[in-house]
Amino acid sequence: MKELLKELSLAFGPSGCEDEVRDIIEKYIKVAMPKGAELFSHKSGGLFLHIPNENKPKMMICAHMDEVGFMVTGIKDNGLLHFGCVGGIDPIVLTSKRVISEKGLCGSIIAKPVHLLSPEERDKRPKIENMLIDIGADSKEEASNLTFVGEYFTFDSDYIEYGDGFVKCKALDDRLGCAIMCKAIREIAKGNITSEYDLYFAFTCREEVSFSGAIGATELIKPDYAIVIESKAVADVCGVSERKKVCDLGKGAIVSFADLGTIYDKDFTRYIMDLCDKNEIEYQVHRMVSGGNDSRHIQLGACGCRVGLLSAASRYIHSPSDVVHYDDLDAIYKALTAVIKGGN
Amino acid sequence: MENIKKTLVALCSQMSVSGYEYLAEKAIRELCADIFDEIKTDPMGSYVLIKRCKKENAPKLLIDGHLDTVGMMVTDIKKDGFLSVVNIGGLDTRVLPATEVTVYGKEEIYGLVTSTPPHLRKQGADSVPALKELYIDTGYSKEELEKIVKIGDPVGYRYKLTEMNGGYVTTSGLDDKACVCGIIEAMREIDVNDLKYDIYVTISAQEETGKNGSARASFGIDPDIAIITDVNFASGDGTPDYECIKCKDGCSVDISSLTDKDLTRNIIKLLNKKGIKHQIICEPSRTYTNNEGVLVSGQGTRTAVLSVPLKNMHTPCETVNLEDIKSLAQVICAIACEENL
Repeated sequence: MKELLKELSLAFGPSGCEDEVRDIIEKYIKVAMPKGAELFSHKSGGLFLHIPNENKPKMMICAHMDEVGFMVTGIKDNGLLHFGCVGGIDPIVLTSKRVISEKGLCGSIIAKPVHLLSPEERDKRPKIENMLIDIGADSKEEASNLTFVGEYFTFDSDYIEYGDGFVKCKALDDRLGCAIMCKAIREIAKGNITSEYDLYFAFTCREEVSFSGAIGATELIKPDYAIVIESKAVADVCGVSERKKVCDLGKGAIVSFADLGTIYDKDFTRYIMDLCDKNEIEYQVHRMVSGGNDSRHIQLGACGCRVGLLSAASRYIHSPSDVVHYDDLDAIYKALTAVIKGGN
Repeated sequence: MENIKKTLVALCSQMSVSGYEYLAEKAIRELCADIFDEIKTDPMGSYVLIKRCKKENAPKLLIDGHLDTVGMMVTDIKKDGFLSVVNIGGLDTRVLPATEVTVYGKEEIYGLVTSTPPHLRKQGADSVPALKELYIDTGYSKEELEKIVKIGDPVGYRYKLTEMNGGYVTTSGLDDKACVCGIIEAMREIDVNDLKYDIYVTISAQEETGKNGSARASFGIDPDIAIITDVNFASGDGTPDYECIKCKDGCSVDISSLTDKDLTRNIIKLLNKKGIKHQIICEPSRTYTNNEGVLVSGQGTRTAVLSVPLKNMHTPCETVNLEDIKSLAQVICAIACEENL
């Protein structure tokens, strides 16, 4: 799974531009299709795998393919680019970070030299509207030959394993969900897992901007149950109060009873916890009502659906240095497959 | 240009946070062995490289560039493998959250500067987090970390040199490795028969922490003329033009009350005569370069300052154009081959 996670995370895929990620997933699944399964794309932008199991309840496993990124909104006379964020990015992580365009052009977000800043400028949190991307063009004309208004950029960030089981890259939110689902699909194809459900894997688009991919997917599939595999923003770093840490990296899959978008199905969530207990899978409970994801829109879908969440604690989320712990990804995979196999 | 790029990559892949320049000795020797007659080190970590013109009683020309870069130093090892740090040199704390670093302990380990998401940090905090509110995330437990890292170990940015459009390259530490590269390349290109001086190149230590290295390194040399090379602000968005120089317009000759008036004017005259591209910047009082270190070393000497335009100074994304490094090398060659400056 590590290799696939690396390939997926390094792929270019800001919201609305998930093609490269979709292609990698499609290629991976096609290598070994589960028996009787159907793989299809949909106009809502998602990629779906249906593994039929007649007369069983419908279960949708969902992860989003997109990542946060940038879009060029204007080109200045001096060749620098105005940009807007695709998805929510804290401007504090942007100054002097490297970015890369759809076409692979390297750029950086400029920083006026600290020596030339007034004390006020030095201390004030930066604003996106004042930030610019430098692509090494010295005029509007030169820049226009290299990029265009509307072109996407993402963070330019290597995939690095560090410390004791940690990994850092851009876009781990939510390529980790995609990778875990791909692994489950491969194991089903190999016959190592048998599903108790009429099973759908939904790789959705545009979670970071509108959740529109999940809305479409839910209408399409009309699931009875759904499990969303996600990243969860935590702050388990030095100097943060216990409560605001939210969860801890390396302490297992996160199950949530509520976040800012969803009150998760209580019984389903407890059922997942019971399965974890029974199978000795490490998990932790989300200690703060924070964050939100596709779950809200799946729950609100036409038919009504019981939704559960399995997420990986993620430090510095929506930055070039998204960090998760491998043990947590393993725990999520085990919890997910335990649910797919079904207890009772 | 290929030589410039190669030399720049070699210099930039070498960690040299102020105070730790001595770690680069092997790299400097490998890079410069074929170019200079003699390479010496000094107790502060500076390097003195000598290239003789083989003429009797030749005057001495000192050319200085500093090797050190801004960085951090470990001050404490916290619970769960976080390190608290203090700055070395004028660090720009705005760029730190979620930035990648290397901690130089018993072995080199990867680290990330912490960043707290907006909804989980203190309410109303509208200011840039101070260095004391940030930590280095190493991913180790405290016990494991204590076996690798000690208080006092240096921390540097970890960004490899990347080529951009139009001859620009970006990485950390181009201040002042871009100039060091220009000096080395000038000395590689120059024909010894044309040299009018015995050349003493100081690749000096500790510029970022008080310009001490150059004062020490040049002290015993007592040069007749000294050329100090450093980076200068490239004009960009929101920076005043008169305080900046332009990328791709060549290296600049800096005019200051702390540089020698005649030497500076003679250099400009020489460059004009030979049609060598350059620009001028005026820094009426201080130059904030090693000029101020060399100026007061020994009995003092005549100095001039050359600078290369650099974008995003003191950040992990310092950016320079290779053409401007080439220009610096050309200007240095012209000076080294000219008598009576």
